[in-house]
Amino acid sequence: MLRTVYWFVNSMEQEAQELARGLRRRDPDLLDRLIEQYHYRLLRYLLVLTSSQETAEDLFQETWMRVLEKGRQYSARWKFETWLFAIARNLAIDLLRRRQPLSLEALLEPGEDEAPIQVQAADDATPFETAAQSEEARRIASLLHRLPPAYREVLVLRFQEDLDLNEIAAIVGTPLSTVKSRLYRGLDALRRYMEGHPS
Amino acid sequence: MKEDLHERAQKLIDAWHVEGLAANDRAWLESHLEACPVCAERAQATERALSSLRITTARVSAPLLARTRQRVRLRARELREHQARMRGLWVACALSWLLGVLTAPLMWWALQWLTRLTDLPKALWLAAFPLLWTIPAAAVIAALAWRRSRAPSENGYTEERV
Repeated sequence: MLRTVYWFVNSMEQEAQELARGLRRRDPDLLDRLIEQYHYRLLRYLLVLTSSQETAEDLFQETWMRVLEKGRQYSARWKFETWLFAIARNLAIDLLRRRQPLSLEALLEPGEDEAPIQVQAADDATPFETAAQSEEARRIASLLHRLPPAYREVLVLRFQEDLDLNEIAAIVGTPLSTVKSRLYRGLDALRRYMEGHPS
Repeated sequence: MKEDLHERAQKLIDAWHVEGLAANDRAWLESHLEACPVCAERAQATERALSSLRITTARVSAPLLARTRQRVRLRARELREHQARMRGLWVACALSWLLGVLTAPLMWWALQWLTRLTDLPKALWLAAFPLLWTIPAAAVIAALAWRRSRAPSENGYTEERV
């Protein structure tokens, strides 16, 4: 059993080191494979962040370009998706800061007081909802998009991407306690919407 | 059942999903959920919400994927070419430095001889000697600055659209 665990951990480390070497070499075949492997998760995350199909698609391309250019900075100590999402997030913040006076950064870094979560009214379907496949998934996407971005971001990273709390804190660049608090409040709000009591 | 027991159960339901539970908390919660239909319903509602969240996906269009791959390949080629040119420049710099070191005594002697021959003040060749050393470095700096002014910006891809 222990030998299996050791083999598993060892092969994961080797894989990460191989990935780091490939990124340093700027190996286009490796980039192709990574795009294939992570494309839908990246776009889903960007749609959650930006609520705009066009912006998310622009950022999708830019994120991969940045992965190529900054590949030397990737360390095998990190999970690739953590690094990928952090790049995507920074690009989203930069882009939206240029575009709108109230930046995404401000939305993503709300005061951590105990004020109730302000929700958007349900209006037209967002791109994320359109992209969501089943009816239930569309409904949850719609509910998710009524939450402020800071809360929906951590919910998505935790429950869609299955990242652990430390990885989320690294991506979002906030303390672990803040991530936890956002998750608890976001989860509570999401459940209330699902039950039909968004108070 | 006491109200604070429900409150504790509700907190533990959320904690279970957010950060996991210690074995004793988990055992307590499981036994509470068996006995309390209200909290069991809340646990199921949370589970339903998270299950729905997990099945949500996004579709990436084939043209977007193809465009992204093409841009990445083009940029990778550009960067490799740039890297090869830079390597050439560094090799030239290293050679120039090596030659400078090897020929320093010769230059020193040549300048001394030239000054004696032309009767120029000693201070002039003493100033000329370090200048000869800085000229190659200045040329490299100028070449790099020129290259940088011509090269696309670090994130030039933000403007270009394929």
